[in-house]
Amino acid sequence: MDCFYAAIECRDDPSVADKPVGVGGSSGRGVLSTCNYIAREYGCHSAMPVFQAKQKCPHIVLKPHRFSVYKSESDKIRSIFYDYTELVEPLSLDEAYLDVTHQNRYAWDIAKEIRQRIFEETQLAASAGVSYNKMLAKIASDWKKPNGQFAVLPNQSEEFMKELPVRKIWGIGPKSAEKLSQLGFDTCGDLQKQSIGRLHSTFGTRWGTELYQLCHGIDERSVTTNRIRKSMSVEHTFDKNLESLEECIDKMEESIEELKSDLMTSRSQRVIAKLFVKLKFEDFKSTTKEAEFKRLDLEAVRPLLEEAYTRSSLNVRLMGLGVRFAQSNDNDSQQLELDLDLGKKRIASY
Amino acid sequence: MKFKINRGHFSNGLQQVLNVVGSKATMPILSNVLIEADGETISLTTTNLDLGICAKIKANVETPGAITLPVKRLATIVKELPNSDVKVEASANHQVKIASGGSNFKIMGIDREEFPALPEFSDDRSFTIEQGVLAGMIKSVAYAQSSDETRYMLNGVYFNFVEASEDAESGKLSLVATDGRRLAKIDNDMDVGDGMSGSLILPAKTVSELIRLLDKGETLKIAFNDRRVAFQIHTKDEDDGFVGDIHLVSKVVEGNYPNYQQVIPKETHQRIKVERELFLQAIHRAALVTTDKSNSVKIQISSNLMELSASSPDFGESHESLAIDYSGPDLQVAFNPSFLMDPLKSLSKDEIFFELKDEVSPGVFKTLESFLCVIMPVRMT
Repeated sequence: MDCFYAAIECRDDPSVADKPVGVGGSSGRGVLSTCNYIAREYGCHSAMPVFQAKQKCPHIVLKPHRFSVYKSESDKIRSIFYDYTELVEPLSLDEAYLDVTHQNRYAWDIAKEIRQRIFEETQLAASAGVSYNKMLAKIASDWKKPNGQFAVLPNQSEEFMKELPVRKIWGIGPKSAEKLSQLGFDTCGDLQKQSIGRLHSTFGTRWGTELYQLCHGIDERSVTTNRIRKSMSVEHTFDKNLESLEECIDKMEESIEELKSDLMTSRSQRVIAKLFVKLKFEDFKSTTKEAEFKRLDLEAVRPLLEEAYTRSSLNVRLMGLGVRFAQSNDNDSQQLELDLDLGKKRIASY
Repeated sequence: MKFKINRGHFSNGLQQVLNVVGSKATMPILSNVLIEADGETISLTTTNLDLGICAKIKANVETPGAITLPVKRLATIVKELPNSDVKVEASANHQVKIASGGSNFKIMGIDREEFPALPEFSDDRSFTIEQGVLAGMIKSVAYAQSSDETRYMLNGVYFNFVEASEDAESGKLSLVATDGRRLAKIDNDMDVGDGMSGSLILPAKTVSELIRLLDKGETLKIAFNDRRVAFQIHTKDEDDGFVGDIHLVSKVVEGNYPNYQQVIPKETHQRIKVERELFLQAIHRAALVTTDKSNSVKIQISSNLMELSASSPDFGESHESLAIDYSGPDLQVAFNPSFLMDPLKSLSKDEIFFELKDEVSPGVFKTLESFLCVIMPVRMT
C-alpha cells in the first residue's frame, strides 16, 4: 500500500489531502510512522524525528495513530488477497507476498485486478511487483510507486539487477551498504562481476554465497503463510505393512511422543478440539476415526485405533495421528478469554 | 463382626460415603465400603484413591471386626429393609448376613485387608472455619471452575490462606475459581497465624462432596500439605446417627494456580447498581431465544436505561428494559448469559454492582462483601 497510514488519514479527512501529512509522533518527541508524498517532497520520510520533519516542512499536518482503523483496512485488503490464493505471507499491515503460481492466469493481470479491487473497497492506492521470486517481487513493487506495478521476467533479472544499488537488496542495510561501497561495490552489477570464489574469500562462505545469489536475482525462499492451522498431525508409511493391532499400537506409541513434541515446539496455544487416527490399508484405502480431545496418551488414542483397525481386514501400510484445533469463532461472535498465561502450562500437561 | 443398627442411621451413613465411588471403579474393592465395628460405633469408609471419606455411626456392636461390601447395592438394600432394627453379621468366608424383620440377605464381601487405607499425612497447616461460612464461600465461586481437562489446574477451587501483613490488618481466606473466561473470587477474614500462609487447589469432585457435607454441624477443620488435604467435619449430636466427625481426605490438584490477580481490573470505569433478582430474571428471559450457536445477550446502557437483547437466526429475538441509575457514556457489550446468571444465582444480597468499560473489556460483578466475578465478553462482529 502506498504510504498506508497517511493515505487513510487523507482519505478520512479530505481537508488535508492536498497538504503535507505525517502520522504519529504526536508527543513532539516522537518520530513519524509515515508521511504522504507531498511531505516526502519536502524531504520528510518515515522514522524521521518530528522536530526534523517540522524543520523541513513547517506546515506539515500531524495526525495521531488510529491503529484500529489501519487494522480494519488491512483486514479488508487481506481478505481480497485470499480470494486469489491461500499462500499469503503478510510482512506488515500493508504489505504481503502472494504466491499465485497455481493460478491459470498471468500474475500481471491478477496484480492489476487486486489493486483495482483494493481501490474500489478502500479508496486507497496500492502498488505491486510481479516476479518469480520474493526478492525481485519486493524490489519491483517499489519501482512504480505510487499506484503502479512492475514486473521482472526471468530473462530480464540479470539486466534489472545490474543497475540496482546494493542497498536495495533484501537484507542489506545502511551499514552493510557502506562497507560494500568501500570495497567498490555500489550496484549489484559490481557484485555480479565477481566470481563466487572471490565473494567467498571476501565475505566468507555463507554471506558470500548469499550475496552471489542475491546480486544475480536468485532467491529460493518460498512464500510461507502463517494462516491459522486447522490441525497438526504426524504420518508414517511403513517399510513393511503392519500385520496386527499390537504392531500398530507399538508404532502408535512412537507417534504419540512425536506429536507431543511437535505440539510443544510449535508453541501452539490453541484449544485442541479433536483427536484423530488415520489408517491406510494395503489396498490404499484409508479411514479416519476421530473423537473429542481429552488427553494425548495411549489410553485416549487406543479406542480410535482399534475402531479404525477393525474397519478392514487388510494389513496397515500407513498410520497417522493428529489433533484438530478448535475453530476460534463461528464468524458471528467470539467468546474472549481472560489473560491467564495458560498456554505454556497447558502444553506441559499433555 | 456382629452388630445391631438402626436402619435410618445405617442408611444415612451409607448415603454420605456413597458418592465417592465411581460407576466404573478400576478395582472391585473400590466399589466397596469398608465397615469397621468397634465399641459403640461402626465406621464407614469409601475411596476412589483420589478422594476418601469416613463417617462413624451409632451401633450396638456385639463382636468387633471389619468387612467390605459393595456400597451401592448395600445402600439400596438397607433403604428397603422392612424393620427399623437391622442385624449385620459377617462370617469367616466374607459372607455377610443382613437381617431385618422377615428379610434376610446374604452378601459376598471382600476381605478388609484388600481395602486401601485412607492416607495419613503430616498436616503442615490447619485452620478451623464455620461450615456455613465456607459453604457460602464455595457456592459463590464453584460454578466458575473449568471442566476442560487440558487445563487441569483450573479443574478445582483455589484456596489461599493469607496471614495478616502490613497491608492487611487481619489474615484472610480467598477462594478463587476460573475457567479462563470468567473468574469468581471471594474473601473472608480468618485468623491465619504467622508463617501459616499457604494455598491449595481442591479438585472439582472434592468440592462437590464438600458442599454436600457442609450442613452437618458448626465447624470444620481443614489441614493440608502440598499433596493432600483433609477436612474434619463436625456433626451435630442429632438423631441422624452420626458420631464424631466426618473425615474427607483428598488429593490436591498439583501444579501452580495461574496468576489470577492480573485479570482483575484495577480501575472502575462505569459502575451500575443492579437489583439482583430483577437483573437475573431479565437476563434469563432475554436468553430464552439463544441457541448453542448464538449464545450471547447484548447489554446496552444509556442514561438511566439498561436494555438486554438477544437473537438467533433460526429462532427469533428478545428485548428487555430495566430502569437503572446511570449517567455515564452509552455502552454496549455482549456476554454469555450463563456467565452472568451463575454469580447472580449464587449470591444472596439484593444489591449488586456491575462494572463495565467497553465491548472488549470484562464486566465485573461486585458486592460490598468482598466478592467479585470477572466475566469476559463475547465479541460481536
